[in-house]
Amino acid sequence: MADAFDISDEQQDYSQYGLEANPFPYSPVPAEDPEIYCGQQHVSEKISSTVSTMLSTGKSKHLVITGKYGNGKSHTLKYTRSLLRDRDDVVVGYVAQPGEGFLDIYHEFVYDLGFNRVQELAYEYLASVARDVTDANPISASAMKSLIDEGEILLSEIVPEAVRRLSDVTHFADFARAIVHMVYEDTNLYAWQWLTAEGIRYEQRKEMEIHSALDDDTMGVRAFTAFKNMLLELGYTGVFVFVDEFESIARLSPKNEQATLNSIRHLMDQNSSGLCMLFGCAPEVWQDVMSEYHAFSERIGEEVALKPLTNEHLNDLVLDYLSRERNGPTEASSIDPFTNEALDVILQRSQGNVRQALAICSRVLDSAIEENREQVTPEFVQESM
Amino acid sequence: MLYRQRKLDLPHGELDTPVLFPVRNVGKRSSDNTPKYVGTIPEFSAAMINARSIRNRDPMWNRLTNGVTLREEMDVPEETIIFADSGGFDFSEQEIDTTPKKTIKTQRKLDSDIHGTIDIPLSRENRAAENQRRIDRSIEFALEASDLHTGDALLFASVHGYDPETIRNNIQYLENHGDFDGYALGSMVPIRTDYKKVTKLVLAARNATEKHLHVYGLGGLVYQPLLLYLGVDSFDSSAFIRSAGNRNYLIPGFGGEELHNIEDLDRLPCPCPICGQRSLEDIREDRTALTQHNLWALATELRRFKYIAESDRDVENYLDLRFQGNEVTKRAYETAKQQVRRLT
Repeated sequence: MADAFDISDEQQDYSQYGLEANPFPYSPVPAEDPEIYCGQQHVSEKISSTVSTMLSTGKSKHLVITGKYGNGKSHTLKYTRSLLRDRDDVVVGYVAQPGEGFLDIYHEFVYDLGFNRVQELAYEYLASVARDVTDANPISASAMKSLIDEGEILLSEIVPEAVRRLSDVTHFADFARAIVHMVYEDTNLYAWQWLTAEGIRYEQRKEMEIHSALDDDTMGVRAFTAFKNMLLELGYTGVFVFVDEFESIARLSPKNEQATLNSIRHLMDQNSSGLCMLFGCAPEVWQDVMSEYHAFSERIGEEVALKPLTNEHLNDLVLDYLSRERNGPTEASSIDPFTNEALDVILQRSQGNVRQALAICSRVLDSAIEENREQVTPEFVQESM
Repeated sequence: MLYRQRKLDLPHGELDTPVLFPVRNVGKRSSDNTPKYVGTIPEFSAAMINARSIRNRDPMWNRLTNGVTLREEMDVPEETIIFADSGGFDFSEQEIDTTPKKTIKTQRKLDSDIHGTIDIPLSRENRAAENQRRIDRSIEFALEASDLHTGDALLFASVHGYDPETIRNNIQYLENHGDFDGYALGSMVPIRTDYKKVTKLVLAARNATEKHLHVYGLGGLVYQPLLLYLGVDSFDSSAFIRSAGNRNYLIPGFGGEELHNIEDLDRLPCPCPICGQRSLEDIREDRTALTQHNLWALATELRRFKYIAESDRDVENYLDLRFQGNEVTKRAYETAKQQVRRLT
C-alpha cells in the first residue's frame, strides 16, 4: 500500500512553454498584496474616481463593489489597498468580514494596521507636539523615538501636553491616553488591547488612567472617529477602510444587522471628511440593504458591479499571469500554450468566474506538461476536466 | 549579573561601593536617637541625612551655624561619610518650601560628601498628569543644582518615574543638560511591594548610565541582595530603626521576625556582637540593642553577598537559595534574573 503514494518535491519543468513555473494559483484566493489586476474597466474607473475624489478634496466618499462569489471582489479590494498603501498620506485598513457588528469592523481595522504602525503614529503625534513646545524638530516617528531615547527631549514635558491636545482633537480623553501609552514599554500592550477593543482588566485601565471600556458599537464609532481625527491633525489626507464579505451581515439577526448598519451610518455622519469606505458585497444582499435600510444605502450612494468575465477579459487575465513567469523564446504577448479556442472552453466551463477560470488554467497547464502536449487545445481542456 | 564594586573619592575619604547608607534621624527629632554604629560596624562609616529637617530645626541649625560641625552634632568621627538628601520624601505630603539654591547651601554648610538634588516624590494615588508635573520639576531642580554646584562634593541627581522609558529618558536628559556624578532613583518606596516593577525600573536606570547609581529607601534585608545583583552602587535604609520600633528582629538570609512570636529561646540565632553575648530577654527589653543588631543584620547580608561574589560560588545559585522561602520575593528575583540574563 505504501507504493500507492508517490510524494516528491521534484519541480515540474515548464520551459517547453517558455515559462519558469506554473503562474496560475492552484487555489485562487487573492494574495495579500496582489501584483496583477486584470479588472473590468468600469470597476477600476469607478474605484479610481471614488478614491481620487477623497484624495483630492478630502471629502468622504464611499462605494460598494458587488459581484458574485469568485468574481474578484476581494481581489479588487486588496489590489486597491496595495496601491493606496504605498502612499504616505493615507492610512489603509482591510476588514475581511464585518463580524458581529461595528465593533468587530473597528477591531479588524486596527488589527490590520498593526501594533507597530499604531505605535509609529503615537510617536508621530508626540513629534508634532515636540515641534511646538521644544526647540527640537523631530520630523518622523523614528526621529522622535531617538530624541526620547537619547534624552534630547523630556517625556514628562511633552506627554501631558500631548494628552491634552489629543483629547481636544479627538474629544475622547481615554483614546488620547491609550495612544500616548503606546510609547511606554510597560503599558503599550494594554494600550494596544484597549485600542483594538479586545478588552482589558480594570487595573490595567487604571494604570493608564483610562476610565471607559471600549466594548460596544457606539464606543467603536467614537474610537474610530477619534483615530481619524488624530490622523487629519497629523496632516494625513484620510483613512481608507475596505470591508470585504459585507454580505455576511445577512447572517446576523435583523436587530443586529440594523444596529451594524446604523453604526456604519453614524460613522459616516460623524466623518464627512477624510473617510473612504469600500465594501465588497454579494449583489443579492446589497439589494436587500438598498430596499430595507435607505438611511444606510443613501449614504453610500454609489455601487459598481463586477460582471462575469468576457472572452477579452479572460484573454488579458491569462496573458498577464503567463507573462509573470515568461522567460523563454515565446513572445510576451502570446497566450501559448493555450489556444484562443481553449480559452473559450475555459470561459464556458467557468461561466466567467475568475476564481474558477484560474483554477482550470492551473490544472490544465499541469496536465499538459505531464502529457507533454505542445498546445492546450479545446479538446485537451475537455479531457482534463 | 550586574553586581559591581567601585571606589568613591569623597571629601571625607574613600568609600568602597556597593554600600549601605544607614538613615540617621538627626533633625527629625530634637536629638538623634540612632544608636552608635560608626566605628563599631566597619563597613558602615557612612550615613544618610535629611538636609531639610536639619535646616528647619532651629536650635540645631543655630548650633551648626555657630561653629559646631554636623559630625560633632551627630557624635560621629569627622571622617564619617555623609550623604545629604534634600528631604524630598517630605514633599509627598507637604508643599515644597525650599529651592535648589537653599538646599545646596545647606548641604555645603553640613559639609556633606554627597548632595542629592531636590526631588518631589511620585505617588500611586496621584493622577498621571500630576506625576508628570512632579517628574518635570525634579528635573528642573536637578539642572538648577547642577548650575550651582561647585564640585566640592559629589552631586547625585534625583530621578523619578514609574516606567522604564521615563527613567531612561530622565537620566539621558540630565546627562545631556547637566553635570552630575551619579543618579539617585526615588519614589520606589510607595511601589516597593511591586517587586517586578521596581526591578524593571532599577534595571532601566542601571542601563541608562555607567555612573554611580543610588536607590533611595530600599536598603532593607530583602531588597539589598536584589539591588546588589542589579548593579546598584548604594542604597539607604531606615529599616533597622523602624523594625526595632516594632520589635521586629531582622535575621540575615531570612527577613524580619516579630519578637513576640519567639517565646522559649534563650538566645537569638545571630552571633553578632550585640546578640552573641546576650539573652533573648535582654534584647527584647533593649530597643537600642535591637536597633544595633538590626544594623548588624544588614551588614551581614551585605557581607554575605560580597563573599559569594568574591568566591567562586555562583551568585544566582545563592540567590535561588536566599529567596526560596518566600513566594513573592522568589518570583521577583526570578523576574530580575530573566531580565539580567537578557542583558549579560
